[in-house]
Amino acid sequence: MTPALRVTDLRKIYRSGTVAVDGLSLTVEEGDFFGFLGPNGAGKSTTIHCITGIATITSGSIEIFGVDAVKDYREARRLVGLSPQEFNVDVFATPVQIVDWVGGYFGIRKPERKRRIAELMERFELTDHLKKPFRALSGGLKRRVILARALINKPKLLILDEPTAGVDVELRLDLWRYLAELNRDGTTILLTTHYLEEVERLCRNIAIVNKGKIVRQGPKESFLAGDGLEAAYLGATGAKPDHVAAGAA
Amino acid sequence: MSSLSVPAKVPVKMIINWIGLWTIIRREIQRLLRVPIQAFLAPWISALMFIFIFGYVVGPRIASIGGHKYLEFVLPGILMMNIVNAAFLQATSQVYFQRFMKYVEEALVAPLSYAEMIIGTLAAVVFRALSTAFGILVIAAVFGGLRVVSIPEFVFWVLIVSLIFGLLGMAVGLWAKNFEQLTVLNIFFITPLSFVGGVFNTVSMLPPWLKWLAWGNPFFYFINGLRHSMIGFNEAPEPLGMVLSLTFLVILSVAVWRLFAIGYGLRE
Repeated sequence: MTPALRVTDLRKIYRSGTVAVDGLSLTVEEGDFFGFLGPNGAGKSTTIHCITGIATITSGSIEIFGVDAVKDYREARRLVGLSPQEFNVDVFATPVQIVDWVGGYFGIRKPERKRRIAELMERFELTDHLKKPFRALSGGLKRRVILARALINKPKLLILDEPTAGVDVELRLDLWRYLAELNRDGTTILLTTHYLEEVERLCRNIAIVNKGKIVRQGPKESFLAGDGLEAAYLGATGAKPDHVAAGAA
Repeated sequence: MSSLSVPAKVPVKMIINWIGLWTIIRREIQRLLRVPIQAFLAPWISALMFIFIFGYVVGPRIASIGGHKYLEFVLPGILMMNIVNAAFLQATSQVYFQRFMKYVEEALVAPLSYAEMIIGTLAAVVFRALSTAFGILVIAAVFGGLRVVSIPEFVFWVLIVSLIFGLLGMAVGLWAKNFEQLTVLNIFFITPLSFVGGVFNTVSMLPPWLKWLAWGNPFFYFINGLRHSMIGFNEAPEPLGMVLSLTFLVILSVAVWRLFAIGYGLRE
């Protein structure tokens, strides 16, 4: 079966000379819920930016459901939804405008767009805030708008870059339920997060990236064996639990 | 299975994303309508002041130029200055704000081609330039200074100048690292060259040492072309201006397309 995402020997070197991603290879099977972990600055967001077209790649290849994300970028992008870490929106626009514009960019016709927007606004409990500008919304509501925007095109591959950062417990739990439901219904999900509990609860496969390279990957169970995910994570990234504890003391 | 969660099928190959293209235009017009005073009223009021002062206060004291009232002579220059400003400001602000607020990423992750992004941006540029021009023509008509002797020629000059300065503005919008850099070209290039390009006077009125500069100044050909289309007054061969303008358009189109294709200022 064609994987949902295949990244082969990806390298990304910025103009400043910084090597952000250094020969990273990754395969996410269709239907998977994939945890993509790593410390800040490890290259997670850069990898996501390369997959989605926000960043150019230096070398390597990226295929989304078998479609080359560089050569056939338009076809590849129709298959992907992205919820980025940062709020990259026109802050003076309303939630409906933000989602509607992106729906338009994806070539969705107006009646279908209106129907989808109504469903998404309802699903993310944004109906009381439809006419407020984005900048007037709380952090949690802003995150919901970003998620609604990522789902307007019914993506086959949903990429979530720290979707629950700064979100209250209620929304986090609701979001977990919703993501599990989306995944059950066939959407492949790539999730980056710093909440290991989130990964334990949702993901089936995990990859840990450090200094631009994959340092460990495999099924979740292989990470849980032994001292658990946290120890496996800290071990893989080179920060032993003892060192962290000593540093904290 | 809820309709919200059913993933889309693998799409068929798109030739032109018409809905995406229209969305770029629609979105920018919606943004402009949020700032109508800045986008539309400001140039109309500025043009009104120019027309009032030069047409009614200073104009009657100036002898006719080439058999035309001074208001008729100066109006194409005022119109051209405002079209240039509207096109340039629209393109720089559209591109730079998208980058500054990072919502350009919404377009980058969508199935939009570079050509669609450029054409969509230019369509918004033309909309703003035409709206500005229309308002000024209405004001001119009220003051009795409006004449257009060749509508096709008039449309040609309005469109080509909008597109040239739209493309130039896009390049500056991609290049600028801060708000000050956005204004550099306007302050040091566009405003001085438009003033010495014949907005208020003929080239023959300039001191001899400045005449050569007028002939090398692209604004002279733009203003001269528009003036010829409106009142039939001409200081340079019309085809020369047209060829030069079309050459600028082609060069800038290729340059901007290239900048988009390499992701200059857009992609990390």
